Amino acid sequence: MNNTLTVFALAALLPIGAALADDDDCSVPRNQWQPREAAMQVAEQNGWTVRDFEIDDGCYEIEGRDSSGRKIEVKLDPATLQVIEMEYEDDDDRGGARNPAPAGTAQPPENGLFENGASPQVQVK
Amino acid sequence: MKSLFATLALTTALTFPGLATARPVTLTTTLNNYGGDGAYLALYVTDASGAYVGSLWMAGGKSKYYEHLSDWYRATGGDTAQVNGITGASVGAGRTLEITLDLADALFDAGYTLHIDAAVEDMRDSPNEVAVPLTTDGAGTPVRGRRYVASFAYDM
Repeated sequence: MNNTLTVFALAALLPIGAALADDDDCSVPRNQWQPREAAMQVAEQNGWTVRDFEIDDGCYEIEGRDSSGRKIEVKLDPATLQVIEMEYEDDDDRGGARNPAPAGTAQPPENGLFENGASPQVQVK
Repeated sequence: MKSLFATLALTTALTFPGLATARPVTLTTTLNNYGGDGAYLALYVTDASGAYVGSLWMAGGKSKYYEHLSDWYRATGGDTAQVNGITGASVGAGRTLEITLDLADALFDAGYTLHIDAAVEDMRDSPNEVAVPLTTDGAGTPVRGRRYVASFAYDM
């Protein structure tokens, strides 16, 4: 929840155009993309340490830490290199947006669907 | 007090149909060769009124992507506790995910629907990729998904 609030708070700080965008996807034709080195330069200018660089929803996405060492995930418009979304992942003191417990490490939820609480048997072929 | 107990018993029975008997069911989901990264899949059940009952499996471990499984996300508020202990890896294009579980008898022929939401990085989200009524007659009959699922069937 804190994460969500942080995103909202940051969205409020973005330029109006970005704040009014439909969602956090990018839809820039590939021929208008700036090279990833340019995106890395934006990171460097902001003092971010880049741990992972990928393309997500048509945006450049950087995972790493900001200049003060907080974990961040930033989406950049691949043409303008403007920040589309910036999320702090430390989620106060709990160490990030929590992922669910993988199968085998916890009981299935008590939602009435799993008879006797038995875990499903799963394989990918 | 007595009526409170009766109400509790009734709501518990409605909320936990699994308290009755169950049968082993195999859910088989085969993805088509859509040519992208592994798909995130949320398998979940809604009741006759369309209300979310619970999740059966989550393929894909990073909760930050769950918003792309938008129907599931809307129903659960993205609550990862819904998929604790029933989360595994995303499923690659062309692969088959086979889940075997004891599913409560009461879910069949009672208006419940099994849904699959699907999402693939850099590709279009596909909420409600599959929606099949859970009926004894429908068992073993493959259905096609809208975008990523080549076929889905439940067998018992």
